[in-house]
Amino acid sequence: MNATIQDLSARPRKTARGVVLATLAVGFGLPTLLLAAVLALSPLSKPAMLAAVLRAAGVDVTTWSPNAQYVLWAVFMVVLALIIVSFAAVVSGMTVWWEMRVSARMQSRIGYNRVGAAGFFQWIADAVKLLFKEDLIPAEADKLLFRASPYFVLTGFALVFVALPFGESLIAADLNVGIFYITAVTALVVVGILIAGWASNSKWALFGGMRSAAQVISYEIPSGLAAMVPVMMSGTLSMQGIIRSQGAWPWEWHAFTNPFGLVAFGIFFVAQLAEGNRTPFDLPEAESELVAGYLSEYSSFRFALFFLVEFGNLWVMSAIAVTLFFGGWQVPFAGPEIFAAARGAGELPGAGWWGLQVLSMIVFVTKTLVVLNLVVWVRWTLPRIRVDQMMSLCWKYLVPFAFVTFVATLLWEILVARAPVASDVAGGVMVAAMVVAAFFFARQTRQNISAVGDRVDFTNW
Amino acid sequence: MPQTVREYTGAIRNTVKSFWHGLSITLSYLARRPTTIQYPDRTPMPVRDMLPPRYRGFLEVDTAICTGCQACERACPINCIQISLEKDPANPKQRVVTQFDIDEAKCMFCGLCVEPCPTGSIQHTREFEATHRHIRNLVFRWSDPLKPFPVYKVDKNAEYYPRVPLGSLVRARLETLRWDRPAPVFLPPEPPGAAKPAAQPKAAAAAAAVAPAKAAAPAPKAAPTNGAPAATAEVPAVVAAPVGAPAPAAEKAAAPAKAPPAEKAPAKAPAAEKVVAEPAVTLTPETK
Amino acid sequence: MDKLILRRVDRQNEEMILNFGPQHPSTHGVINFLVETDGEVLKRATPDVGYLHRSIEKIGELVGYPGFMPYTDRVDYVAAMFANEGYAIAVEKLLKLEVPPRAQWLRAISCELCRIASHLVSVGTMVMDIGAFTPMLHGIRERETINDLIEALCGARLTYNYHRIGGVAFDLPEGWRDKVLAFLDHFDRFLVEYDRLISFNEIYIKRLANVAVIPGPMAVNYGLVGPNLRGSGVDWDVRRDMPYGAYPNFKFNVPVGKGFYGVSGDSFDRYYVRCLEMAESSKIVRQALETLPEGEITAKVPRNIKPEAGEALSRVESARGEMAYYVVSDGTNKAYRVRVRTGSFTAMCIIEDISPGLMVADLVALISSLDVVAPEIDR
Repeated sequence: MNATIQDLSARPRKTARGVVLATLAVGFGLPTLLLAAVLALSPLSKPAMLAAVLRAAGVDVTTWSPNAQYVLWAVFMVVLALIIVSFAAVVSGMTVWWEMRVSARMQSRIGYNRVGAAGFFQWIADAVKLLFKEDLIPAEADKLLFRASPYFVLTGFALVFVALPFGESLIAADLNVGIFYITAVTALVVVGILIAGWASNSKWALFGGMRSAAQVISYEIPSGLAAMVPVMMSGTLSMQGIIRSQGAWPWEWHAFTNPFGLVAFGIFFVAQLAEGNRTPFDLPEAESELVAGYLSEYSSFRFALFFLVEFGNLWVMSAIAVTLFFGGWQVPFAGPEIFAAARGAGELPGAGWWGLQVLSMIVFVTKTLVVLNLVVWVRWTLPRIRVDQMMSLCWKYLVPFAFVTFVATLLWEILVARAPVASDVAGGVMVAAMVVAAFFFARQTRQNISAVGDRVDFTNW
Repeated sequence: MPQTVREYTGAIRNTVKSFWHGLSITLSYLARRPTTIQYPDRTPMPVRDMLPPRYRGFLEVDTAICTGCQACERACPINCIQISLEKDPANPKQRVVTQFDIDEAKCMFCGLCVEPCPTGSIQHTREFEATHRHIRNLVFRWSDPLKPFPVYKVDKNAEYYPRVPLGSLVRARLETLRWDRPAPVFLPPEPPGAAKPAAQPKAAAAAAAVAPAKAAAPAPKAAPTNGAPAATAEVPAVVAAPVGAPAPAAEKAAAPAKAPPAEKAPAKAPAAEKVVAEPAVTLTPETK
Repeated sequence: MDKLILRRVDRQNEEMILNFGPQHPSTHGVINFLVETDGEVLKRATPDVGYLHRSIEKIGELVGYPGFMPYTDRVDYVAAMFANEGYAIAVEKLLKLEVPPRAQWLRAISCELCRIASHLVSVGTMVMDIGAFTPMLHGIRERETINDLIEALCGARLTYNYHRIGGVAFDLPEGWRDKVLAFLDHFDRFLVEYDRLISFNEIYIKRLANVAVIPGPMAVNYGLVGPNLRGSGVDWDVRRDMPYGAYPNFKFNVPVGKGFYGVSGDSFDRYYVRCLEMAESSKIVRQALETLPEGEITAKVPRNIKPEAGEALSRVESARGEMAYYVVSDGTNKAYRVRVRTGSFTAMCIIEDISPGLMVADLVALISSLDVVAPEIDR
């Protein structure tokens, strides 16, 4: 690097201790608080459990009329729903901050660094700014639909969280058609985007909306087929059931116990990128082609809602991928029997059980964040593909491969049924291969730095 | 488009390979130092001190060594320099520069005026930060019309010309000019076809005389509100007579209107200097 | 254009007209394209130029010969050095001046650094138009280093005004040569990394290869110049074929589009020719710094430049292709006529005939692969 530039680069400035503390408090406290609320409330989503807890508190709801009991339960569910949606919003905001920081580093920039330590509060500042901006509706727009479309998008996004697990018993509703339900409600987002594109009465927005419709609907197919692979391997559509059929260690995950599992994950990942309008599939809002696509005419909080959904989707797609392929919340050394033992036979679970729930939640969140970073990383590396290539990628590559994977998994499951050791062998071999690949990748990365004469330097992070 | 099997598999292989390289490079940048600097408030030193010495920032004129040759005025392709020379009424042999205006807002920093200067009086500095609410504040008047400076006699044997440190004059001005300072009131633009004021100060003085009352009226009022320090003390006077104030013709014509500000200005100057003590708003917060 | 609008009235099919610009993220300045599309496929894209016209040629008649030099910076502000050089050479021809060798070498060094800087913007914005953001900022980062170097050399980062009639304005600053060599060492390695990061990216290649193909003869007929022409496989470089200044003394290759991943003349060739040219420019700068002769940096130029009546034409290989200055003198101290011939203007003409059948995203790739810069089109 040129000497002049390096001399000029700023030393990391000391941030005031209070700002650091406030940042840490909000950065860790807010999600922790929300997750704790999820942790406390989601077991209560079952009426029997709720009644048991209240009885322990001295209120016997079973003596109430059935309607009153129902209302009580409904109130709890509404509170839980609000908390989960707030969690989605907070996660989406923090993802924005994290993505901007990471992308800045990838581009030799510093990124957010003004509001709070490491610019952490920037996402709050942006949200507040968007709230206070004028809510413009173009004169020629279809006003009703223009106003309605953000809610379609938000609804499609928020409904996913109903069947999205957070931990062993932490799920709003463990639907027996979980993954099917998620695939179905995600499609609501595209309705909203299509409406936004059409109602804006702008050609750019129309382009974006049409592209989005074509893209999302096409990629539902490989996405759904790839999701069928873990479904077949676990024999259930329920999200918790899929996780329970996997183990805690990498060689027990669906991605690795089946030689085609990783391919299925690849297909699923690419398809999810496309459904979430992420680079390299950000065609609907391709800024260099369509200005901002379906978002062109939106401003203020309606824009913020689209934005929230776009970044919140990162969490959703990562959580689904972790659930299907990477063992979800499975805690090492804690099989179902341990959970059962910790829960005890009483009406209310024991303290150890709550501890295990926290552990499972930590495992799940960590894995999800890893996959989320993968999405961010891909976005800031790859260019965008063209609309016809997007189609040909889907129909020529992903769909055939998804079918092949599907059939191969079918055969593989027959083999595993005959010889269960095959699954263990595949798991071991695949994990070993991944470790080797990771090693070479790390070495390549290290060489990249020395190849242009730079040094490893984390001082200004 | 027909595709062979080789192309089909080759595309997959190339994709994996090229993504491998691309992703490893972007990842490796996470472990490198960013190159951007945090202008303006988090640089190790003010940016102007980091610039190379040849940097072409604001023009600065050291009036002590200005020969009044007007070479810079002729060289300027956009006529942003205006110079007027007069004979000193007290000493007819001595010529004085009554006007040396550089419109720094119009200047395009090409450096053509610096090259012909025989003494190095006019120079580019490394100052570049001067955001002002009113663009007319960026017209730098290097000659006080009331106290025109005499031209410098070049000593052929001199080894060097004693110039003040480069940038100190501009810096002093910029530090004393508040960014939201009210704009000086110039005379209304001359009708097209009128003589160019810089070239013919006599004609300009006559033009100034046409509207003396109008132009001079705000002058006394402007004087107290102007908290600007000594360097800008000429402003009220300037308001009254931007061009060639001491020119006899102008003085006669505008005498009644001009008398108060002209007398007031020197009297005001010391007072204003005391006011300067209040911290002037610097344009660039420096890193401590 | 009126025809376009009239046709719109009769239209019964699903075509629509898009105003692609003048404020559009990928038009590289204020250019407008009237795009007739049928869905994603273009029927035609008609460039509508003139939004950035600043009468620079007319100004050349109003200010004196030396005074026009800063204006040439504004002809193409991404690569201002070439415009300086072209004008200086034209006036020197009028004055029949001999430029000292050191000045010629300094001109070559500054121009080639400027070419690298300009191509970095070109390939960077092209990558950004294709949708990747990171490589663009890597390119800009390297360009900043060059800007720092040129700033140390001549005091400005963008509008250099470094060349003068009869030479250059400044000699090398102290320690500059070592800084440039250190930068070039870094830069050559950076180019390899850049290629790995984006140029050979499969998505990127698929986006550009075989897209918007301009065959060689067509490129010649439309008057394409510079990298656009060489991208179409035409081996023509003014630096080598009509040498000027110090160029005969340097050894360098002229990269030509061979259809690196598609056919010759596609967008990827135009892009990659620029990448290769940056490496060649780096070589030229090294050679020039090694063989830099001592001596004066300006010829004896009369204080008041008044060329004899006559005319002169200069051709220089700018970053955007051949740039020609045609200066007519009537014996006074102001030019009678100054005409600038720039590469971007002709590059705009070809868009209308290449665009039918492309997709909207390909139009973006085509525009950025032609590396048009709005001020150079309109002047």
